[in-house]
Amino acid sequence: MSDMLNTEIMLKDIGMVYRTNDGRDVTALTGVSLDVHKGDFVSLLGPSGCGKTTLLRIIADLLQPTSGEITVAGGTSREARLSKKYGIVFQSPVLYDWRTIKKNVMLPLEIMHIPKAEREDRAMKMLELVGLTDFANHYPKQLSGGMQQRVGIARALAIQPQILLMDEPFSALDEFTKEKLHEDLLRIWAKTNKTIIFVTHNIQEAVFLSNKVCVLSPHPGRLSALIDIDLPRPRTMDIKETPEFTAYVSKVRNSFEGV
Amino acid sequence: MSTHKKINTEAVKSVLYPVLFGVLIFLLWEFGVLNTILHTDTNILPPPSRIASIVAENSSKIADNLSATMTVILIGLAAGSVLGYLAAMFATRFPYFGSGALTVLSVFNAIPIVALAPVFNNWTKDVSSQADVRSTVAKILVVTVVCSASMSINAYRGLTELKPFSLDLMKSYAADNKTIFMKLRFRNSVPYIFTSLKVSVPTSVITALVSEYFAEYRAGIGRQIRDNISIAQYSSGWAYIVVACLIGIAMYIILMIFEGIFVKRTS
Repeated sequence: MSDMLNTEIMLKDIGMVYRTNDGRDVTALTGVSLDVHKGDFVSLLGPSGCGKTTLLRIIADLLQPTSGEITVAGGTSREARLSKKYGIVFQSPVLYDWRTIKKNVMLPLEIMHIPKAEREDRAMKMLELVGLTDFANHYPKQLSGGMQQRVGIARALAIQPQILLMDEPFSALDEFTKEKLHEDLLRIWAKTNKTIIFVTHNIQEAVFLSNKVCVLSPHPGRLSALIDIDLPRPRTMDIKETPEFTAYVSKVRNSFEGV
Repeated sequence: MSTHKKINTEAVKSVLYPVLFGVLIFLLWEFGVLNTILHTDTNILPPPSRIASIVAENSSKIADNLSATMTVILIGLAAGSVLGYLAAMFATRFPYFGSGALTVLSVFNAIPIVALAPVFNNWTKDVSSQADVRSTVAKILVVTVVCSASMSINAYRGLTELKPFSLDLMKSYAADNKTIFMKLRFRNSVPYIFTSLKVSVPTSVITALVSEYFAEYRAGIGRQIRDNISIAQYSSGWAYIVVACLIGIAMYIILMIFEGIFVKRTS
């Protein structure tokens, strides 16, 4: 029973079949079952076409699976979306150019009809968390790609969700910026105690960040391994030099099928 | 510091050179050099000073005609833009019918004003017993049609060409259609509204002037250009041409100022 209470996201035998324009059925996902516990940092790792983004969109209720069951935060995925149980960060920052940074972070709070004073207060706290207090009144185009993606994270956290869904959020960034944001994200995770689902095609990134790596293989997209990463925390860049880290990377790499 | 100085010099140059060129043409015109080059006498192409004095002498008559023309331009532009935007909103909401409707509207864009004007004159025959009212309505309708076509096409792009994941983000907030329109689509369309107006403001001026040629009731700057030139009153014709140019320039400047206020930070 205690395990049930501890479960944040439960996927049972999830399948996703698309029908293409010429009438063929394409299986994007088949038989994916997964339990994510509260406070987990889980990576969905795999090459293009393995259905990892599809799986994230199913959890976010932006897509309906064609088979299987899904529970998010104790209810259906739709209920979770409607009651703002998750914040989502996409591959691109999706900031609105006509809004200042602060107003971008306030956007979901406006939609939730949260009073103005509290909106401002929360937005500034989130910007402080991602280290962008000084840029509150800047416009998105005045910021670098890495800073813009941090605003995206601040906006996702502003609604105070218990789950953070991230779809290859750092894939467009350079290596230096990415490493900085990895450390930032782990710091934020440790501080806020969110459940994070992180989609990536980068093995090192997945091993460095997660406590659980879900390895997805393509054609058809399926879960081929679930690997616990027992590296000490807090993790810093130095950990990447250790034999334990390298061993995990090899283990994950060897678990792919049919790539 | 040096970059600022460089930008300023560039800005000054980009204004100064066209102004100098304009002044040069003006001087050549005033002192008859232009007439020699173009083989025209000063009756057909009077010097600027003479045109200016005619404008000054006929100021009250010009003012009457100006107000008739401005009524047509402003009402037609406003009505056309609003209708065009509403059509774009409809097309966004109902893409299945909407895109077809927009294609039909854009066909209107291709119809020459000289073809539209007589049609609307005919349609508005029974609108009023007064010829001036009938004519004004007909002219406004021509401007409305031309402006709505341009606005609908541009606004539709502004309402639908969103950044990837913008709609997913809104869906993740469980935002309703009204919220998506107000917070995302409308704001995204603002630069496109100005793109449309940059075309339709000058077009509305031209359309108003040309539709006056065909109107039943004689009024407006365009009609005065035609009537004066047809009786070989070239100097008076030129006076009205100058006024027509000033309308276009003034409206464009006003538009630019508004664009500066509303779009400044978004591009």
